[in-house]
Amino acid sequence: MLEINNLNAKVKDKDIEILKDFSLKINKSEVHAIMGPNGTGKSTLAKVLMGHYGYETTSGDINFFGENINSLEVNERAKRGIFLCMQDPTVIEGVSNSEFLRTAKGEIIGEKVNLYSFIKDMESAMKSVNLDSSMLHRSLNHGFSGGEKKKNEVLQLKVLKPKFIILDELDSGLDVDSLRIVCENINAYIEENPETSILIITHYPRILEYIKPDYVHVMVDGKIQKTGTIDLAFEVEKDGYVGIGSGVNE
Amino acid sequence: MSKKIYIVDDNENKNYKYNIKEDTDIYHFSINSSCEVEIDLEKEGVCLNYFYNNINYDDNKFSIKVNHLKSNTHSELYNHGVNVFCNKLMYYVDGVVLKNSSKCICNQDNQIINMDNGKSTICPNLLIDNYDVDSNHAAYIGKFKDEYMFYLMSRGISREEAYRLLLHGFLINSEKIEKDKIELFLNEIEKI
Repeated sequence: MLEINNLNAKVKDKDIEILKDFSLKINKSEVHAIMGPNGTGKSTLAKVLMGHYGYETTSGDINFFGENINSLEVNERAKRGIFLCMQDPTVIEGVSNSEFLRTAKGEIIGEKVNLYSFIKDMESAMKSVNLDSSMLHRSLNHGFSGGEKKKNEVLQLKVLKPKFIILDELDSGLDVDSLRIVCENINAYIEENPETSILIITHYPRILEYIKPDYVHVMVDGKIQKTGTIDLAFEVEKDGYVGIGSGVNE
Repeated sequence: MSKKIYIVDDNENKNYKYNIKEDTDIYHFSINSSCEVEIDLEKEGVCLNYFYNNINYDDNKFSIKVNHLKSNTHSELYNHGVNVFCNKLMYYVDGVVLKNSSKCICNQDNQIINMDNGKSTICPNLLIDNYDVDSNHAAYIGKFKDEYMFYLMSRGISREEAYRLLLHGFLINSEKIEKDKIELFLNEIEKI
């Protein structure tokens, strides 16, 4: 599904290289988790995969279902099926949640979405993520708590039905109950769409107890330094990143 | 329940004078027009919400002055403009609180989005001769933030549609606006 080969990326207009010969292959139905110290490039990787304006790919390839997407616009990557669940979802005052989501769904499926059926569908989807239906008519993420913003992200992925989901620190700002609800919804989505793959970026193994990863990678200094199972996540929690970073993959 | 007033200016220069004696929401839509507005809050305790939304193609000026003539009066001004080409757009926004008008609230929020390299200016003035006023002002001139475009596009929305959503959200900046009263303005947004 996703193949990243020797990817190098830097902050746009600056000589700050963040991803350094980064490589990773994610097959259909696989769940991968990336952990790593602050500033090591985890969130940059998520943004670069989505085509963020603040970063520039200097070399290497990002292939999605065999297509090189390096030069694709952000919306084209989304239309191919990539979804970035953001660490700090953007607040856009004036643009209603419903208008935004209906427009996005229309763009993804390539036809206008009937307002009445959309609102009806949304009501049950919102209930499942424990969001009040009145939030559909409020400005996008405006006045939402940290937890509500994350639930709104999950609501979006349920509506837009991506093939590859990047969860960038989904657990930040979520209380225990909210994290459980959000993860249950993601697991239900995977069950309904079993070919979906997930890349989880996190600092803590707690989320990995809800969404079980097939592989856990430790990223240090812009590239993966170690790969293992969920045990690696617990090892990192216990011992930190000391000793990881030799550049040798297990 | 506030009184509601709708105004749509279309390529014309106008002056407006209001004497407010009850709670009032004024929705003022302007297409390529200049105008001067003066408002007197004449009754103690009245509240004014003023929504000015403007699409600009030539050199134009908007000036508004709100005089708090009585105590406990409250004004909230939301002035939003889109300067489409490389023209001059100027906003002069005055909130005036007299010495004998106590416990007033006098706020203003001014924003101009430059779609091209227009020369936009906002002059927010709070002329307050009293010590117990609650007053704030904000002014922003610039483009739509890149992060807005990124977020919308990351959900599959094209650049053009993202702009349309942002323009609508910016220029129809109250959920209470009755769309059927401003069809001319709504059509103009689609032309930007």
